[in-house]
Amino acid sequence: MTRHTDDDGDAGESNEATESSDGGYEGPTPGVPESGRDEQPSVFVPDEGEAAETDATAGDRAATDGGVESASAGADSTELDPDAYDPVDVFPGGDLDLREGADSCYKCTSCDTSCPVAEVDDEFPGPKFQGPEQWRLKRKDDHDIDESITSCSNCMRCDDACPSGVPLSQMHNEARGQFVERQMEKLSVEYIRNRVLANYRTSASLASMFPRTASFAMNFGPARWAMEKVMGIPKERDFPEFATETFREWWKARGGAQVENPDKRVAYFHGCYSNYNTPEVGKALVSVYEHFGYEVMVPPQKCSGTPMFANGMLKDARRHAETNVENLVEAIADGADVIASCTSCSLSLRQEYPELFDLHGIDDVAEHTFEALEYLRIHEDLEEALDEAGGLDDERAFAYHAPCHARNQGLSRQAVETFRDVDGVKMEDVGDSCSGISGTYGWKEEKYEKSMEIGAEMFEHMEDAEGEVGMTECPTCAMQMEHGTGYEIEHPLQLLEDALGA
Amino acid sequence: MDRQVDVVVVGGGSTGCGVVRDLARRGLDAVLVEKGNLTHGTTGRMHGLLHSGGRYAVSDQKSAEECIEENRVLRDIAAHCVEETGGMFVKRPEDSEEYFQEKLEGCKACNIPAEVIDGEEARRREPYLARDVEKAIALPDGAIDPFRLCVSNAADAREHGARIETHAPVTDVLVEDGEVVGVEIEHETGPGKRVHREPGTTEEIRARHVVNATGAWAGNVGEMAGVDVEVRPSKGVMTVMNTRQVDTVINRCRPKGDADIIVPHETACILGTTDEEVDDPEDYPEEDWEVDLMIETLSELVPALEDARTLRSFWGVRPLYEPPGTGTEDPTDITRDYFLLDHGDRDDLPGMTTIVGGKLTTYRMMAESISDHVCETLGHEATCDTAEAPLPGSEDPARMEELMDEFGLRSPVARRSGQRLGSRADDVLDEYNPNPIVCNCESVTRAEVQDAVDDAGSDLNAVRLRTRASMGNCQGGFCTHRIASELAEEYPEPVVRDAEDELYQERWKGQRHALWGEQLSQAMLNHLLHATTMNRDGDPANLDGEVDFGAFDAGADAPGADGSGGDTGTAAADGGRASDDAATDGGRASDDAATDGGR
Repeated sequence: MTRHTDDDGDAGESNEATESSDGGYEGPTPGVPESGRDEQPSVFVPDEGEAAETDATAGDRAATDGGVESASAGADSTELDPDAYDPVDVFPGGDLDLREGADSCYKCTSCDTSCPVAEVDDEFPGPKFQGPEQWRLKRKDDHDIDESITSCSNCMRCDDACPSGVPLSQMHNEARGQFVERQMEKLSVEYIRNRVLANYRTSASLASMFPRTASFAMNFGPARWAMEKVMGIPKERDFPEFATETFREWWKARGGAQVENPDKRVAYFHGCYSNYNTPEVGKALVSVYEHFGYEVMVPPQKCSGTPMFANGMLKDARRHAETNVENLVEAIADGADVIASCTSCSLSLRQEYPELFDLHGIDDVAEHTFEALEYLRIHEDLEEALDEAGGLDDERAFAYHAPCHARNQGLSRQAVETFRDVDGVKMEDVGDSCSGISGTYGWKEEKYEKSMEIGAEMFEHMEDAEGEVGMTECPTCAMQMEHGTGYEIEHPLQLLEDALGA
Repeated sequence: MDRQVDVVVVGGGSTGCGVVRDLARRGLDAVLVEKGNLTHGTTGRMHGLLHSGGRYAVSDQKSAEECIEENRVLRDIAAHCVEETGGMFVKRPEDSEEYFQEKLEGCKACNIPAEVIDGEEARRREPYLARDVEKAIALPDGAIDPFRLCVSNAADAREHGARIETHAPVTDVLVEDGEVVGVEIEHETGPGKRVHREPGTTEEIRARHVVNATGAWAGNVGEMAGVDVEVRPSKGVMTVMNTRQVDTVINRCRPKGDADIIVPHETACILGTTDEEVDDPEDYPEEDWEVDLMIETLSELVPALEDARTLRSFWGVRPLYEPPGTGTEDPTDITRDYFLLDHGDRDDLPGMTTIVGGKLTTYRMMAESISDHVCETLGHEATCDTAEAPLPGSEDPARMEELMDEFGLRSPVARRSGQRLGSRADDVLDEYNPNPIVCNCESVTRAEVQDAVDDAGSDLNAVRLRTRASMGNCQGGFCTHRIASELAEEYPEPVVRDAEDELYQERWKGQRHALWGEQLSQAMLNHLLHATTMNRDGDPANLDGEVDFGAFDAGADAPGADGSGGDTGTAAADGGRASDDAATDGGRASDDAATDGGR
């Protein structure tokens, strides 16, 4: 199966849109009527200037949770429940009303004590204030959000810490979006810098046209000095190198999928980083999955939105989500599950998408999305396969860091568990601290030192670990690990590829 | 005690506070005495509705007209106590169309601006409204904070020379030669600000006139003077939700019935209410079915209420009155009008006037009319200006941006401080730097707590009703000790402990009616924090006597080992058992342990 291999979606987008409307949900679909708790208007309608880029029918499209039938054949969709208590647009301008989320909070402060930013930043009041407290204090006519929301790094450890199911990161994301939309000066250096950081995919796709030049220029000393002064991007950071051949270019060149199997299909959400910077991770994924007889699909896709959420650029995130959801829904209809090699991408599709956006099929996408190693551990007998493969020829030791976003999906131990019995592999978990970079957080000059302070514990534990190679699922954690220790960093899929001899 | 004042006003609810303010502004020498805190009785136990008059537009048009008139006055003079939420009377399919039209015509007849909107528009304004709501009448209902309102009235009265005595129950009405000449009061902890553990005193206050503004308790005061006042106290339950499901007042459009109103109040919503006559305003059953009824019935209007968190419930008693011989069977049919009883004319006992009936929205009008009457009796010539003169705090709107910048407050903290303090915000917040938050749920800072302490002594319930500290979702679990520690500089440690216990018990009282789901988790966490982490259910420091530490060292067999560490004093963290200890007005049923309003 070689569909969706033309490019990463920019050019083919309008075609895809047409195709999908043939698929049965065209026309003046019910979607998003004016009111009612389960039939809400779109939450973040792209502004006029950007409307051209999105599918013209997107705004009218049915919301799966509005009771229309599931986008994927035979999949369970959320039934319309009149008593369901979804956030609706109480606040003008389509903002979500998340005050009800404060009901679950009994103030225990577990979120604050697990917040890595609060630990190093005395000015940051912590997730309990940002989330349930600030929301509970809101009235309908209140629009102001405290500026401290921009100090939240969106590591989402508070979600994991909360014993009571308070939708903390959703509250933070929505508040941050409102703050950026209404209160942030759009011509400020901070806004522009954050917008550039959030839209990494745009920069990366440009840079990939001339990868060598870009890799050099971006890390050229005087250029970095200027970037710090003008844009607030810390000169200490090394920009990641751009691959000379992107993952999608490679995929196209190899002729797409080498295995066809209508019973075992996965749609690979590679995200930006595996495409532009570390195609070796994507290649490893393809090789491992094909080893197990999966047909890999690579649908058109854009940024998962993670850096956009973290910077309150919810309109940007929604625009990208529309493309992603549309194409992934189609893949799901073809029998595929969605897999991602980046734990932030998978978390975004699973959690943030349905929490923040109301797009046709978004719940189906969330339900069918898995992290790549997680998916194999569910569906294949990895232990036996690794046992049969006989392990590595040369002993290798790794210092493994579990990304915060992996933790939130219950995956923080998966790499250690997968490899601990493999001959020749020594895998040490460097502990449950946060790496401190949190995507774009550590890329801001004013946050750089705090980012390194948060990461200090991880650096120290890495140094103490036997291995001289780091391992993690998250590309920005990998940047931070490399930055703090000088280690080379690998993705578990790369090791899996080696260990399986795939 | 020979000095004679012009007027003693008995009762520190909205009426009494309004009367003493009015009299003081007219230049009379007035004293207000209240047995608990201000708002202790009925005023602190209402749902905070600023009536547009719509509720009475069919059944009681005189009241309705007064309501809309006073509604406009209060938006002006009490701006910092009022939130202009707007209101709706919503009609469900099973509610009578005929009544809907009557209501609409009634509003027009009473000059209440009313607009009919369809169900869709109603849900656009309030998205959580049930989808089968057909249509609604929108009118200018509002929300009012009765605590701030009374405290501001009393503060203004004091500025004009009046004396305010709380925790000073009247023990006798002095009658000499067939005339009321004053009252005898008991200062629970001495005159002036309340400070725990100070010895009580009694005082006779002689006055040229006594105003009995004790509402549901008017009969008790009447009895002390030897006259009959036939109040018919009627109880109603109110349930406090953790957050706002609606931001406008939602009324059900039907003739009468229980559980037909949702009022957004500060950070919460209050569901109300029932109407059932009781014999004694201090001793009536508080039953859980009443709470269930609120939630179930009002879920028909706002389905989200069914699963939403409830913080607490409280009951209040209306001071309904009807002239002898009227004989109305159902309390909901008793007029909401107020009555001025001149005991000179009525009972041949000059020197005392009683005011009963009425409602908070018209408190100022009632106060004006009784003040007119008192001035006439005393031959004092002065005009009333309470309809024009703003209350302290309502002179100008608070300036939020400046609060944030000048005092370094985060935006929701600045916003809430400004909403509570109004034009006083600058003065109050200027006092403390740094100014940490003491109550997180309601965003109350040290400066605001200290301002209240200056006014209220060691009475933390009085601090609470001035600031809303401890009225949020933890119900004091995380802040009673922090609030109490604000007393530590001024008051000795045992006073601070008593004050803390009293506040904690009061917070527990209302939560007893919300012990399921999230609030049960909260109550358990609060209990564990206070009973175990803080050891407040067995803290030797709470004992009055010396602790025999040797008994611990020597083991259980040592002489004096048993009992020496076991007396828990008044700090029982499980409140229910110890609530009698906490009652400030001692000797009442444990159900009435709260010192004042339930919120």
